[in-house]
Amino acid sequence: MKLRSCLFLAAISVALFHTGRVESSRRPRYGGTVRVEVGAVLHSLDPAGAPADPDEASAKNEIDALLYDQRNPDGTFAGVAGSGAFHIAEWESGKHVTLAANENYRGGRAFVDSIDIEMGRAAKDRLLDLEVGKADFAEIPPEEARHAAERGVRVSTSLPEELVALVFVAGHSIAEDAHAREALARSIDRAAIVNFILQKEGEPAGGLLPQWSNGTAFLFSTAADAVGAKDLWSQISGSPRIVLGYDSGDSLGQAIAERVAVNARDAGIVLSAEPIASPEPSPPRYDARLVRLRITSSRPREALVSFQSGLPAIAGLDASPLPAAASSEQIYERERAVVSGYRVVPLVWLPRVYGLGARVRDWKAPVAGEGWPFVDVWLEQESQ
Amino acid sequence: MTFRSKLFWVFTIALLLSVGVIAAGVTVVARRAFDDLNRQHSEALVAQFEGEFQRRGQDVVHRVQGIADAEGTVRMAIDLGRPKADVSMYVNDARGVSQSHQLDFLDFVATDGAIISSNEWPARFGYKMDWLTQPQDWSSVGSFLMKVDTQDGPALGLMAVSTVRVGDRDLFIVGGERLGKDFLNSLVLPTGMRALLYLDLDPSFQPTNLVDASGTVVDGERLASFIEQERQEPREQTFKVSWTADPASAEAFHALPLQGRQKELLGVLLVGSSQQEVVKLEQHIRDLALAVVAMGLCFGLLLSWWGAARVTRPVRKLAEGAREVSEGNWGARVDVRGRHEIGQLATAFNRMTTQLTEQREQLVQAERVAAWRELARRLAHELKNPLFPLQTTVENLQRAKDQSPEQFEEVFKESTGILLSEIEHLKKIVGRFSDFAKMPQPELGPVNVNDVVRGVMKLFDAQFGAVGRPPISPELHLEENLPVIQADAALLHRAIENLVLNAMDAMPAGGVLMLSTTHQDGSVDLEISDTGGGLAPEECERLFTPYYTTKQHGTGLGLAIVQSVVSDHGGRISVESETGVGTSFHIRLPAKPPLRSAPAHSKDVSAPAVDEHSEAKQPEAPPSKGA
Repeated sequence: MKLRSCLFLAAISVALFHTGRVESSRRPRYGGTVRVEVGAVLHSLDPAGAPADPDEASAKNEIDALLYDQRNPDGTFAGVAGSGAFHIAEWESGKHVTLAANENYRGGRAFVDSIDIEMGRAAKDRLLDLEVGKADFAEIPPEEARHAAERGVRVSTSLPEELVALVFVAGHSIAEDAHAREALARSIDRAAIVNFILQKEGEPAGGLLPQWSNGTAFLFSTAADAVGAKDLWSQISGSPRIVLGYDSGDSLGQAIAERVAVNARDAGIVLSAEPIASPEPSPPRYDARLVRLRITSSRPREALVSFQSGLPAIAGLDASPLPAAASSEQIYERERAVVSGYRVVPLVWLPRVYGLGARVRDWKAPVAGEGWPFVDVWLEQESQ
Repeated sequence: MTFRSKLFWVFTIALLLSVGVIAAGVTVVARRAFDDLNRQHSEALVAQFEGEFQRRGQDVVHRVQGIADAEGTVRMAIDLGRPKADVSMYVNDARGVSQSHQLDFLDFVATDGAIISSNEWPARFGYKMDWLTQPQDWSSVGSFLMKVDTQDGPALGLMAVSTVRVGDRDLFIVGGERLGKDFLNSLVLPTGMRALLYLDLDPSFQPTNLVDASGTVVDGERLASFIEQERQEPREQTFKVSWTADPASAEAFHALPLQGRQKELLGVLLVGSSQQEVVKLEQHIRDLALAVVAMGLCFGLLLSWWGAARVTRPVRKLAEGAREVSEGNWGARVDVRGRHEIGQLATAFNRMTTQLTEQREQLVQAERVAAWRELARRLAHELKNPLFPLQTTVENLQRAKDQSPEQFEEVFKESTGILLSEIEHLKKIVGRFSDFAKMPQPELGPVNVNDVVRGVMKLFDAQFGAVGRPPISPELHLEENLPVIQADAALLHRAIENLVLNAMDAMPAGGVLMLSTTHQDGSVDLEISDTGGGLAPEECERLFTPYYTTKQHGTGLGLAIVQSVVSDHGGRISVESETGVGTSFHIRLPAKPPLRSAPAHSKDVSAPAVDEHSEAKQPEAPPSKGA
């Protein structure tokens, strides 16, 4: 067995151990409706149309995973809608969708009869509904996981699968200064971001892939070096200033950007965090921006390729394809090549955090590239 | 400048000066009063600010202490007091607590000074507030001003610190209120006053740091120099600033430095007092003064008019009377009553003119007597000459009656011839006197003086070169473009003829007779000069007096006739003579003679008088007879 496979299985095991809320003490039962709340608002489930908004795309992907039986290597779904474990029973655009269990699903009928998905619910409302039992399942922001657990919500955390990175905009004078890029990258205290902002739900990121993916993340340094950053910054002539943009609706991105600004200020770097207006001005006013990239595959090569294609063109990275049978070393080298230029500065890895209602049983946090595992979930009766 | 004008200006200047002094005085007093009022307002506002500052400071202290005493904070302190305490779980607490306690700034700080949670800068967790770790009894410090680092930049805060001690560890609670426009909004300001706050947060003056109740002050740069003074030497001071060219935009400021715990300057409170009311009052005073001046000018004009009229009317009458006297009206009288100096002067003037009139009548009477005497003398002289041969002839006839008839016949024939000759002579003499008395009125018509001159000279052409007569060379200098005048050609001819005859008589040994014509301002000038022996000054003075002659057999009427003709044409005649050089007569005839009722001589032919249109110019050399 290759090193990569061993690392992957170890990571899966650790994740399962951490999430260890496997309800195996009871016998599964059929029936019931899982009440799911999502923040995204979907207006179409057409397989040909992929929403531009990442949250909407993610939600649609989760629903499609329930509707389709087959999936292509690139992550798209094959077959017809309804060939999966569920089919669409009700659809109200932008508000809710009800999925009914497919009696003829080749993998066996799901335990629950249906899944009622309500769209457009804010994070704090989702958390509140989980608390009061109005919802059975909802994704919650990682930084709220600890708070949710303290409030009695059952929390399921996935392996880290979303990268928050800082990407310099190619062509901007300060972004083209290697010293400036490295100074900023060194000034950032990633551990503080994970511990305080993410409330320890996440990992400092030095490379593009998480440790469980290629097993080489530990080779990338995540330590802050304010003194080195200050030295580097002092070598820059003039009075440069960096504008760091973040998506205006992304509160986590804002918190991270503001922390980056504090770290940068400590190193003498003049950096201001500013929300990116929608639509984005062209050319962009910011010199760097925060991006959030989600792994679409548990396989490191595909994950890295998707990152490379997913990273904004603004970074100006080498987009040459990786060999189909790229080894871990080759993946690491490519990863190193991307990171060493400091055009992309990985900051933290985020897990997906799910809040579960009290009656949800046999929930297993999905790995990257997999959808919500509602096929195996069953609901305990209220009376019990 | 007339006396009235002088009086007007004196009155006006006096009025302007007095109004100006009064207006300036009122302005100064009003300005002082406003300055005092503004100073009192400023002091009251500063006192209000200080009171509000203390009140808010106490409030901040209480609220921070309330947070420190809260159960959650104590629990946090206990939790943080444990070994390997996880501070990350409190990273967001400051925000909620600050909101519930209405504090702009709130930081939970660990015993080592590291920020656990910050409301004003949430991302600043982990960084240290070293100033907190210095030994200090924060409970006795109370509130204080402090420069607070926030996410949006530095701010000025009214802060307080409280501590929760667990074991040997402290949890610092640093809270406060932002000192800015909201604070200024809470101040109650009198009308026309405002409070500005400069937040001394940057190394140099920044206009954006100067705020008032509505936000950043517009044109705050104008206060830069005063703020810099405060930065150099913090102290209370007052100054004025003009925001625009309009004086009403001026604003007086009272500056109060705001200092922190270490007496460092953190801000400057500026209490501004608009000068608009002062300027309005000054403007009002100025307008009022101008109105008073305008009214004063009108009043002064009227008063000076009346006063000057009252004072100058008798003076003017006196001047008018004097002018009339100078013009010959010696009987002029001035109607001024009163016992003042002008009245006395008028009385004296009237007495003088009365005496002048009486003396003039006496003089005229004397001259008339003298003229009659002269006439009588001339007549006696003229008549005596023919009478003596007449008497002698008659006596010869009487003696011849005793002689033989032949002798008698011879004597008779001779005597009758003499008698007839002398009688004819007497008739001529009487005729000349008669002619002078019968000078006709000129019959005006267009006349070219050059033509008249040429006509006269033509009569004398034969005599100028005649054998046995003195050789006289006539010279004519006649201007060709002479204007045509309204005149009587015959009378002019006669006058010029008389002058030519006079000139020929004045040159018994011959000489040059020159006649010239020119014109000026529509008048025609005629000059007749000879190169005779000239005249004495006294002769020149009496030259135009009738019956006065310097010749042995002249009647003395020729030049009188000339003068009469010239006068009847509205002209002037003058004579210049120099002994040994010659004599020149200058005649100026107007283009059109003025209308006259009758010539002077026709009024009183028998009363010889000096004509006003004749004059004699005396040469400097002693005169000699010859004319």
